[in-house]
Amino acid sequence: MTRQAFMARLMEGLRGMPPTAQAEIIADYNNHFNEGAAAGRSEADVAAGLGDPGRLARELRAEAGLRRWEEQRTASAGASAVFAVLGLGAIDILILLPILMGVGSAIFGVGIAVIAIFFAGGVVFAAGPFSGLPGGAAAAVLAGIGMMAGAASLGAVLSIITIGLVNALVWYGRLHYRLLKPALEPQVSGALQ
Amino acid sequence: MPEAIEIQLKKGALELCVLALLSQHDSYAYDIAAQLSDSIGMGEGTIYPLMRRLQADRLVETYLVESPSGPSRKYYRLTDAGKASFGAQKSAWSSFSGAVETILGGAK
Repeated sequence: MTRQAFMARLMEGLRGMPPTAQAEIIADYNNHFNEGAAAGRSEADVAAGLGDPGRLARELRAEAGLRRWEEQRTASAGASAVFAVLGLGAIDILILLPILMGVGSAIFGVGIAVIAIFFAGGVVFAAGPFSGLPGGAAAAVLAGIGMMAGAASLGAVLSIITIGLVNALVWYGRLHYRLLKPALEPQVSGALQ
Repeated sequence: MPEAIEIQLKKGALELCVLALLSQHDSYAYDIAAQLSDSIGMGEGTIYPLMRRLQADRLVETYLVESPSGPSRKYYRLTDAGKASFGAQKSAWSSFSGAVETILGGAK
């Protein structure tokens, strides 16, 4: 692969990352080619030593995505971390996807239930005293408050579980970075994929 | 699968090796990559994701040095946190590899 082809594929893979990060990475690899040339190596030799630019870009992006998740525990950062790990190809997506979808929809379902219970609690709290429920107005108010509090704590537990799951996935992804593999055994990597 | 084991071992040792090289003297990525690819057969391209991670973890910092040939080089040096991390990883490695050595010796 020529230097130009390598850099073009690298840039293609980095698209979507912050421009400053992209510029730094591009400069790093350009320097690498310059150093290689100064040491008398051919472009093809340096490019072969560097490995697959698409894979390098995926790993650099994954690292950035995982870091964002570690810095800010937001839903979008979590989603991008999950996709970054999946993008690494570290986990067999055919095996993982059904599990992820199952777990994801379970979390979603419980989340909806939590919200429904919360609002139901609100209705009981507000309307209960006037609807002549057994136990009287005070019991209805207390039941309403209880339902809302229960829903809130369920919601909290649910988000802890979700954060834990994303963390586990991130940990697994880090553990299975496959960058070294093609670089170490170029002869087998083709057969494995 | 001996190959798989070797890869896992190298992966685990890579960060330690980079920190060790930098603890001897400051260096630039091409030089680190060249040394590691010669001695432990690491892919040269892997150095950049690793250096970015080390830098984001504030274990290393960079400074530019004018190069006699061509553009200036980005040198990496260990921060205090990097030195501390290297010390801790080195002793963990020594005790672990010592224990493995002992067991391997006993299995002869």
